[in-house]
Amino acid sequence: MSFKNILENWSAFRKDAEAGGHHKYDHRWGMAINLDVCTGCNACSTACYAENNLAVVGKDRFEKGQAMHWMRIERYWDDADRQFPERGASFLPMMCQQCGAATCEPVCPVAATYHTPDGLNAQVYNRCIGSRYCSNNCPFRVRYFNFYSYYETWAEPLNQQLNPDISVRDKGVMEKCTFCVQRIRASNDKAKMENRAIADGEVQTACAQACPTGAIVFGDTMDPNSAVNKLWAKHEVKRGDYLSKKPKVNAEKRGYRIFEELNVDPSVMYLERVREEI
Amino acid sequence: MFYKHVCKLVLPPVLMFVSLLLISGAPARAELAVPPGVTPPVGTHAGEDVPQPIEFPHDIHVNINKINCMYCHTYARRSKVAGIPPTSKCMGCHKMIATDKPRIQKLTEYFTKKESPKWKKVHDVPDFVHFSHERHIKKFVFDADLPVENVEQVCGLCHGEIKAMTVAKKNKPLTMGFCRRCHEANGGPGDCWKCHK
Repeated sequence: MSFKNILENWSAFRKDAEAGGHHKYDHRWGMAINLDVCTGCNACSTACYAENNLAVVGKDRFEKGQAMHWMRIERYWDDADRQFPERGASFLPMMCQQCGAATCEPVCPVAATYHTPDGLNAQVYNRCIGSRYCSNNCPFRVRYFNFYSYYETWAEPLNQQLNPDISVRDKGVMEKCTFCVQRIRASNDKAKMENRAIADGEVQTACAQACPTGAIVFGDTMDPNSAVNKLWAKHEVKRGDYLSKKPKVNAEKRGYRIFEELNVDPSVMYLERVREEI
Repeated sequence: MFYKHVCKLVLPPVLMFVSLLLISGAPARAELAVPPGVTPPVGTHAGEDVPQPIEFPHDIHVNINKINCMYCHTYARRSKVAGIPPTSKCMGCHKMIATDKPRIQKLTEYFTKKESPKWKKVHDVPDFVHFSHERHIKKFVFDADLPVENVEQVCGLCHGEIKAMTVAKKNKPLTMGFCRRCHEANGGPGDCWKCHK
């Protein structure tokens, strides 16, 4: 970004996220996750490991907090009154929320993480110097740092299943969920070859594909006819709308985005679990 | 005094100019034509000779026999990689043509043993790069209405003058700067994640 560019487009760059932001988007990939049907089975996490060449770190490193699961299932026990409280866990799949106003982006000293015209928080592994500022500034704790060169010790038959469409990351590089950008890229190439736009449902992330209950819906939130956009509209979740926290009145409008009050504009909408009246 | 100045100031540039003329005039090679409306990527690279199992003469196939690049490298227009033809495709012609040549006899040997020659990759981009041949062929050939017989001009943007070589040799740098300058000049995508994976 040159100085001339800043002077000329100052007012455009100062446009807040509520007013649409200053990015020009081709797509804005987004998700809707229905927590009511999520069983916490971890299939999404497993699929992510297989799709994105994630390293299995082992128990010791996991305990040190060096796990590399881009997609993790968070467990909460907030139902203490039940007869067997330890069985009352509720689950929340947590991955990079691909924020529209991401806190990780401005702190990167080398611009290795930036916002793409597809509405994704890109992480360019070649450019990353491993300062880990982004990870420390992420409110969702979904960025993972390679403390070791896992590709050197990849277990023998498993190296045969590495995905060639995504790099195997080396030591000293930050990584995170990409919304399966290799699949988006492949579909984009295919659509361009056939002179058409990407159809809704054409791109599926590995987690959405693997989910046995269909809790995860992925698509372009800029496409008015996409399934994900219809869900967002149905549950009255809008981008840039972080102040109008409406009380949940009925089960039909239970959409929310995590840390919405921080105004980071996440691209993932969660649908609250429906519970019996106590 | 004046003569001295002439010697010091004027003569060296003149000599340099003359020598430049001589150098640039010496290798008189026909440059590969550039497709109309395309700003070619700038840069050269002195690639090493890559010894191949069979010394495949590109010059005979392309320059003398005028075979289209995409006759053998079929996959260039429909996949990410241009592809090496199967030995059966070579044998389609070489069952009959030039069967007395040692290189063809070696090829026939491979074919009868049902083995593939272990060709070595010459133009290899790093593993973290997403490069799609089909997208480039579509933009520069099919969308630009370039006659398909001129496809070598498009291939030559990144592969150089293959028809002047026997075994292919890397003579363009294929670095990020090389790609970026061409993308800027010809309106290619500028987003990191379009190529970096």
